[in-house]
Amino acid sequence: MSTDMALWQEIVLAVFLVTAGIFGLVGSFGLIKLPDPMTRLHAPTKATTLGVGGVLIASMLYFFFAKGHLSFHELMITLFLFLTAPITAHFLAKANLHTNVARDEVPPPTGDRPWAGFESDEARRIAEEQASKGA
Amino acid sequence: MSLILIAALPFLGALLPGLMIRSGRTACAWATASVTLTALIGLLVHAPAVMRGEVIQYQLEWMPLLGLNANFFLDGLGLLFAGLILGIGLLIIIYARFYLSRQDPMGQFYTYLLLFQGAMVGIVLSDNVLMLLIFWELTSLSSFLLIGYWKHLPEGRQGARMALAVTGMGGLALIGGMLILGNIVGSYDLTVILQNKELIQASPLYLPALILILLGCFTKSAQFPFHFWLPHAMAAPTPVSAYLHSATMVKAGLFLMARLWPVLAGTPEWFYIVATTGLITMVLGAVIALFKDDLKALLAFSTVSHLGLITMLLGFGTPFAAVVAVFHIINHATFKAALFMSAGIVDHETHTRDIKRLGGLRHLMPVTFTIVMVAGLSMAGIPLFNGFLSKEMMLDAATEAAWNGNHWLVPALATLGALFSVAYSFRLIVHTFLGPKRDDYPAKPHDPGFGMWAPPALLAVLVVLIGIMPALMVGPLVATASGAVIGGDLPYYSLKIWHGVNAALFMSIAAVVGGLVLLAMHRPLDAAWIRARRPEAKAIFDALMRAVTGAANALTDGLHNGAMTRYAAVFTLAVIAAGSAAWFGGTNPAPAREALAIGPVPLIGWILLMVATVCMVAYHRNRLLSLVLMGIVGLIVSVAFAYMSAPDLALTQISVEVVTIILLLLALNFLPKHSPVESSNARRFRDGTIAVLGGLAVGGLSLAMLLSDFSQESISAFHLANSKPGGGGTNVVNVILVDFRGFDTFGEIIVLGIAALVIFAMTESVLGSPVGAWLKQRPINPLEAGDRHPLMMVVATRVMMPIALMVGVFIFLRGHNEPGGGFIAGLIVAIALVMQYMASGFDWATARQRYPYHMIIALGVFAAAFTGIGSWFADRPFLTSNYGYFQIPPMGEFELATAMAFDVGVFLCVVGAVMLGLESLSRFAHRAGDRPSPYPMDIDPSRDLPQEAKDA
Repeated sequence: MSTDMALWQEIVLAVFLVTAGIFGLVGSFGLIKLPDPMTRLHAPTKATTLGVGGVLIASMLYFFFAKGHLSFHELMITLFLFLTAPITAHFLAKANLHTNVARDEVPPPTGDRPWAGFESDEARRIAEEQASKGA
Repeated sequence: MSLILIAALPFLGALLPGLMIRSGRTACAWATASVTLTALIGLLVHAPAVMRGEVIQYQLEWMPLLGLNANFFLDGLGLLFAGLILGIGLLIIIYARFYLSRQDPMGQFYTYLLLFQGAMVGIVLSDNVLMLLIFWELTSLSSFLLIGYWKHLPEGRQGARMALAVTGMGGLALIGGMLILGNIVGSYDLTVILQNKELIQASPLYLPALILILLGCFTKSAQFPFHFWLPHAMAAPTPVSAYLHSATMVKAGLFLMARLWPVLAGTPEWFYIVATTGLITMVLGAVIALFKDDLKALLAFSTVSHLGLITMLLGFGTPFAAVVAVFHIINHATFKAALFMSAGIVDHETHTRDIKRLGGLRHLMPVTFTIVMVAGLSMAGIPLFNGFLSKEMMLDAATEAAWNGNHWLVPALATLGALFSVAYSFRLIVHTFLGPKRDDYPAKPHDPGFGMWAPPALLAVLVVLIGIMPALMVGPLVATASGAVIGGDLPYYSLKIWHGVNAALFMSIAAVVGGLVLLAMHRPLDAAWIRARRPEAKAIFDALMRAVTGAANALTDGLHNGAMTRYAAVFTLAVIAAGSAAWFGGTNPAPAREALAIGPVPLIGWILLMVATVCMVAYHRNRLLSLVLMGIVGLIVSVAFAYMSAPDLALTQISVEVVTIILLLLALNFLPKHSPVESSNARRFRDGTIAVLGGLAVGGLSLAMLLSDFSQESISAFHLANSKPGGGGTNVVNVILVDFRGFDTFGEIIVLGIAALVIFAMTESVLGSPVGAWLKQRPINPLEAGDRHPLMMVVATRVMMPIALMVGVFIFLRGHNEPGGGFIAGLIVAIALVMQYMASGFDWATARQRYPYHMIIALGVFAAAFTGIGSWFADRPFLTSNYGYFQIPPMGEFELATAMAFDVGVFLCVVGAVMLGLESLSRFAHRAGDRPSPYPMDIDPSRDLPQEAKDA
């Protein structure tokens, strides 16, 4: 790393990088270690948001400290991560619920309708139509 | 009229009959006839000059580097043949108008006829041998269409195929011979070749060239042993037979022999090959003709015989024999065309061509009888008709020919041929028209209308006039044409009836008397002929064709049986073999560079790549998993491109990966989840070995290429140097795509569009089949997952859509100077759209898509094409680009080049093609019970709110 940064600046960067590294490592470790798919889902999502997020913040700070200008690329990357990570997790969870979990193992939902993922589109549509008629 | 126009006129005119047939058959015939008449007049305008000995020339440079120029020339020989082709063609057109029935598609007939006529005229007027070869092949092709005109008759189709196979093969040989000839002389111009007799005859390649050229001529002119196709071609309508076999197609071989006579003739090889073949053909054809009962078959074999006669005369190699050959070409064309047309009349009016069912037509069809008698007596060689004159001269020439020192053989066989010729000619007249009137004709015979008998009658008149006043009628023409054949001074000859008492006269008398005796003995001879075991040419030909087709099929199926694995294995092994031969057989450049040490990042990438590949081999039966592994490989490849400073490739690769994976996922929906085990262990071992070999070979080659310099300077330097000054862009990749090699790109986007349309068409046909019905009736499983279009995904894609579109525009605009361009932008925009399909479902998204994807593809191709054409208006070649710089406020300075409009075409094509592929695959998913959702997302909290809350 170039030497035209103050020590405290380097320390700040290092803290972010190391934190990010730890989260990345923990995330990967959790992916192997955690017992079932639903809990395992937590590991990589944390790794992407916090791990990669830390690296991105470090990168932004580096450009600000060393080159003197703010870099916005990292913000774009963060935006895309925040957009895609939850959706990926959502789909993974849905797929897991659908294929690996029996319907009666899941806690019951409030109301008289089943969980959305368990109710086929056609069944839900019929129920909605009936509800709107009743109202 | 310019020569090229004379040759082109029938081709241009071939468009007319198809249009004119809507105005009726007569109008169609008139239009066709006027085309031929115009060409004939155009030709005759040149006649006086040619008769004076001038050679008319027309030159047009076409591909001068290849020696291929559209040069035409007209000398006496060309004039004679072009006159025959166009003159008799005119008569045939008139005759065919009355011959063809209402069921026959006349427009088609005249189109084929004009195409054929144009090809024939092209042959006889070409000055360039390459042009001549093209026209030669065109006659083979167009005669195929003509002979097979009655498509419903198996004989017609088989005859056409046989003619094409034989003449086409001869054409191939001819190409070889002509190229050798051109190579010896150093020019492909006939006029130059004709001046180099000594050079050609001294060349060691003279004999191969001679044999190849003669193969072409003999097949075309139906010389023994290739004579068999001609009688089978008689399945064609009679006008076709009359045209092809009297004046044109079969005369092409003779024409070429006559044309090349000055340079090829005069050697012992020429004499023994050509004269012997001609002699055998003449006698054999005459003998077979006598025993044919079909009128047209008889005429066909008589044609074979007369072609043999002319070939023999050309083969003698003496100037006198060449003159006789030219004279007989004229005479044969006149009487044989008349005879064919008359045979057609008999067939047309009595509904049979079988001589044994005919007889006694003399009083029923007096006009036809007169024509046949005149032409038939001429064919027999009876005085006062033109056939007599040339036959006498032929016999005269034969007396001077010595075959291997034997002075008797040629004259004796020639007399024998003439004798049989007399016999079959008289049989034609006597057995058809003379004898008692019968009462069992299939139809009531009577003379046809004027239009049908006038063309043969005109020829019959010519037969008599030439027979009585030869010198006056055709003397100058024979002299000019013979002069062109001989290429020097004419020998002494005289065209007159009485030559005094000489050997030829006695031979002629012997032939006539012998012929009449033969005819008298026809009944017992015919019985013996039928009993005799004769080789059947068609059976031999069919067996040969079956064997050849079988061998070709065995080879093709052995290499490529339709299975991709077999094809890939053969291809890989062949490439490895060729590559190894080159590598171990040639000199290899020494390594010029040291291999770089591998850094940590490439090492990690390489390990990932290797692991993914090995896993692919291990888990390829799980199809979803293999898709994931493919994704890894694609990703690493894109990263590798970026690492090796190829950002354009990286961008393209990553977008292509995304689109491919999405489309494959869609397709996977309809495929089994696992591939079954189908191959044995041994087979997998074999395939594995081949794969490893291929991989090692490619890897080794890449390494060798990376370590050594190019043996020749690569074109990259040019592209780098000219990208900015020539194409106006600093992104060389993009400038290459849209400018340097824009024409390639133009072709590629068309291919891309076609591929998408093919996917669409295949989807259509599958969905229209029982498979489609089965797909539609899949039951809807009540247990299947709900919430297929979750709120989260829908909202995220809606947010992403404008961003992605903006990125697409940005990438597109910067493309000329920075990494990007229409192709990548198209992929990005396609991905943005595909996301909407994925989020809200196919039906919802399609309902909001107002422009059909077919149209987008078409617009893309048009945009690219019009950009290219636009440069014509600035007097520049297709796709020349121009450029300038513009400010687009929020995004900075951009360069706008006309190449950008071209890039818009690329962009639209890519978007259209990807989306059409997606749309096609999605249509498989439709089930009968599906109801398209009216909502973009399945669960929308705002929909579930009570009405009051919404109002508030």
